[in-house]
Amino acid sequence: MAGVSMKDIKLRIKSMESTKQITKAMEMVAASKLRRAQDRVANSRPYFEILFDTLNTIANNTEDFDSPFLEKREVKKSCYVVIGGDRGLAGGYNHNVFKLAYSLIEGKNACVVPIGKKCLEFFRARGVEILTEAYAVAGEVSVGDCFTVAKMLSKGFLAKEFDTVSVVYTNFVSMLSQSPGVLNMLPLEYHPKPGDNNCLTLYEPDSFTVFDTIIHEYLGGLIYGALCESVTSEHGARRTAMDAATKNAEEMISSLSLKYNRARQGAITQEITEIVAGADN
Amino acid sequence: MTFRLQIVTPDGLAFEGEAEKISVRTIEGEIGILARHIDYVSPLGMGEAVVTDAEGKERRAACIGGMVAVHNGNVRLVATTFEWAENIDLERAKAAEQRAREIIARPGLNERDLKLAEAKLHRALVRQAVHRDL
Repeated sequence: MAGVSMKDIKLRIKSMESTKQITKAMEMVAASKLRRAQDRVANSRPYFEILFDTLNTIANNTEDFDSPFLEKREVKKSCYVVIGGDRGLAGGYNHNVFKLAYSLIEGKNACVVPIGKKCLEFFRARGVEILTEAYAVAGEVSVGDCFTVAKMLSKGFLAKEFDTVSVVYTNFVSMLSQSPGVLNMLPLEYHPKPGDNNCLTLYEPDSFTVFDTIIHEYLGGLIYGALCESVTSEHGARRTAMDAATKNAEEMISSLSLKYNRARQGAITQEITEIVAGADN
Repeated sequence: MTFRLQIVTPDGLAFEGEAEKISVRTIEGEIGILARHIDYVSPLGMGEAVVTDAEGKERRAACIGGMVAVHNGNVRLVATTFEWAENIDLERAKAAEQRAREIIARPGLNERDLKLAEAKLHRALVRQAVHRDL
């Protein structure tokens, strides 16, 4: 009996060892990708900050400022850009963001632009209207794609196909915590700053054209920023999940080793007892 | 006389420092900015940007989309794409040109796809033109 169970335990230890190797490797890959993703976030930030700044300044400094992008309408239909991952094994990363998105969408007239394979699967399974499937692979979405999405969405907004546009993404709070969040894109909210009156700026051809032109870039930037943030979160979540899995595997290996040694000891003791019993006769 | 120039793109900072002159193509046409320019904002078109640095050396780049802003004598070029001439991938631009031309030649194209393809062609041609004069 002891012999069979010893072999079983040994096999289980071996399989745990290989699982541990896999999770360890995934953790390291996620950690290195995380570093790259963080750099990307840091690099892209000034671009969007300057654009947003300029938009704000234009809206502030122009009297009777009005743009179709600022128009608040009664909400008949909303559009959500939901950014998820392409793969699982990242802890609650996908689940959290989908749960939030679904709670916003459920029971309302809404459509989604899913980014990420898991995301597309989730919304397709629930029968939510999907605007486009062209960006289903989050890993392949480039800056240019973000601008294309933004253009498409702002066109839809102006054509009154939907009355609000929001992005549902995951905020990278820290290495250990990532929280899902919603960012409202359209209609654009701007924050008037009193006392910031610089009316001497020359806008060419005029401030409205400048505003309506760079808003596309800004919106594309919002999506890109949210995407970068989500990708960073995904790697962070995966790193944490895989770290936990590696630790679990280690724990199981150590408890199995203990069992194995006990079984070995038991077998030896039994053998000795048998030998001694034989010698006595 | 020089001014402070910052060139930012979504991929990061392309240039930061003193410059003597910068010329870019806005949606209205080519403009040149020297030190002590009035506060100014304009969206960028597709074209070549030439930066003359503090030592009078010229550097050329393909500059597409975004905007240029002058504020209190500081110039910020916020470009969607900004590639120095020496960094342009000529093979890629040529391949992009060919792909775009194939799409445009296709019969029964809707207006949106045609516009997209034309923009792609334009970008590819700008890149090639900037690279050619290297």
